[in-house]
Amino acid sequence: MTDTFVIETRGLTKSYGNAEAVRELNLSVGAGHITAFLGRNGAGKSTTIKMLLGIIRPTAGEAVLLGTRIADLKGSRETRRRVAYVSEDKPLYRYMTAEQMIRFASSFYPDWRAADAKKLVKEYDLPLDRKVKSLSKGMRTKLALLLAFARRPDLLILDEPSEGLDPVGIEHLLRTLVARSAEGVSVFFSSHQIAEVERIADHVCILDKGCLLVDASLDQLRQFYRRIDLVFSSAPVEDKLRVPGVERIQTTGNQMTIFASWNAEEVIERANVLNATSVQVAPVGLRDIFLEMVKEE
Amino acid sequence: MLWYKAWLETRSRFLASLCAMTVLMVFFVHHGEYVLSPEPRRDTYLLLFYVHHYLMGMWMLCVVLLGMGGLIRERAVGASSFTLALPVSRERLVGVQIAVGIFQAIGLAALPWSAILLTTGLNGRPFAVWQAAFYFLLLISGGLTYFAMAVLISSLIEGEYTAPAVAYGLVILSGIVFANVGWLRPFADLWRYMGGDNHFNKSTYLLSGPFPWLGALASLSVAALLLVASVGIIQRREF
Amino acid sequence: MFFTLTPTTGQPLYLQLMQQIRHAAETGTLQDGDQLPGVRTLAEELVVSPNTVVKAYCELEHEGLLELRQGSGAFVIGKRRTRSLADHVQAARKLIRDLIQQLREVGLLDEEIRRAFEAELLYPPEIAKKR
Repeated sequence: MTDTFVIETRGLTKSYGNAEAVRELNLSVGAGHITAFLGRNGAGKSTTIKMLLGIIRPTAGEAVLLGTRIADLKGSRETRRRVAYVSEDKPLYRYMTAEQMIRFASSFYPDWRAADAKKLVKEYDLPLDRKVKSLSKGMRTKLALLLAFARRPDLLILDEPSEGLDPVGIEHLLRTLVARSAEGVSVFFSSHQIAEVERIADHVCILDKGCLLVDASLDQLRQFYRRIDLVFSSAPVEDKLRVPGVERIQTTGNQMTIFASWNAEEVIERANVLNATSVQVAPVGLRDIFLEMVKEE
Repeated sequence: MLWYKAWLETRSRFLASLCAMTVLMVFFVHHGEYVLSPEPRRDTYLLLFYVHHYLMGMWMLCVVLLGMGGLIRERAVGASSFTLALPVSRERLVGVQIAVGIFQAIGLAALPWSAILLTTGLNGRPFAVWQAAFYFLLLISGGLTYFAMAVLISSLIEGEYTAPAVAYGLVILSGIVFANVGWLRPFADLWRYMGGDNHFNKSTYLLSGPFPWLGALASLSVAALLLVASVGIIQRREF
Repeated sequence: MFFTLTPTTGQPLYLQLMQQIRHAAETGTLQDGDQLPGVRTLAEELVVSPNTVVKAYCELEHEGLLELRQGSGAFVIGKRRTRSLADHVQAARKLIRDLIQQLREVGLLDEEIRRAFEAELLYPPEIAKKR
């Protein structure tokens, strides 16, 4: 739990022709934490991750992964030895058996734990001598995750890890992520399962249309992000309540809903000064924060 | 373990090609000799000349197939993000795949020719080993250019069927060009080179003359250039 | 020993855990000298980030309820201090019970009472004093 960063990007940009998949991204992912990466489909999450791993080259900007600049090709190669990555498509070689995949993966990474691999094979009930192409989707997902979980990398990057897993599998996934984090592995994962993210993540980054909208600790969001529902006796003026911290104001007639990421107290003070007839405050769950932040204005 | 992976990936294709080619060549030779007997030995040499051309054709078909695959194909099936995330340079990834392909291409020429030698020997019409070696070396030194071309095509074109189609198309196109463009013969006609046509002695029906080391070098240099280009393309490519 | 952390109640998880550990100590579920589960064990059991557990344990050590011994884990101490806290809570609950009774008699509904409490609780102690 130090102050170092496992991932740092500065102005990271990726354009495809005129479209910008990632736009001037300044991301900082701290070491020793579980950080979640949220965003709609096509928001740029996978593109960002692929740039970090050298699978795609950025159009502009730079990034540092575990202390090595991604532009340093030779250094990045060594860095990849300390990173475990499972992409969305749960990549495996169809012509190999599960056992061959495990032997193949283990030969490249000195942080491989054979005992853990064995344990996971048993827990997942993986048939070792069946070719990957004849495994069910769930089995393939588990095998792909096993290849990362049987290691102790400095950084674990997962792109939509729970996709393809049943609820029991998801629970096992979360427990494993928590266990790895406790062992010092920094976890960076993207997910659409917001409920799961809320349970285990320390920190969340929300990406939309290539831009970082939210970069906050979940405890901070829980403590300070508030939804304030106000009723006035006459149509209220939005600008009077737009204090620092206010993210969004929706007005319908005499009713106003305000989402504030902090400083809700000042909003309430102003509301009282403006003689609001009703003031209701409630915490906002991560799903609603996400939906509000990515909503079109 | 990259070598093991490349082997597992191409194992079925390779072994199937190897079996098919060996069986067919043995069949041609054996049946041909049966039909020929008790004709003079010279006719066996002519038979083998033709058999070599069949072998050449099949070999080129199989070797183009061996040049397919690689990272582009992996991307289409969704496995490339694992390979590219390995702590291995792209040159090494592609290099090992190419090397395994080359060994397999050599094997695909060596084994059938060995079987042909065995068959003629068992039929009482032994063929000189150095003649077989001559044919074999011509095939390999000329044919690896086609292998390299296939590798280059598969690093440029993504479609599972488009890539081999284009590669085969180029093979056929080259054949047409060599057949119809007169000034290319006899020094730049690759098919004549590979088939041994340039060295075929019309009276002895054997390959004669010194082995064309310069020609082999030229052809292999072209192959090497195409392979280096393929590696370069993969290095710069986005996945 | 059961802890339940709810991610959606607007309270940081480590605070929830702290409260529940304190409660366990107050009610005697946790006795003086008892050892709390290790960070990894508890995190896995609750399926929550280990940082949450670490934060909770550290804050409770700061408050004097726990002692973190290098290599062995977190142990409950200072129960005497917690007992006086429990007395405070007892007294507070009596006050709250009476207040709620009064508000109900005036005609406020339970929902309104709850919202009023929540709105007031939003003010950190320093600002509340000024009002």
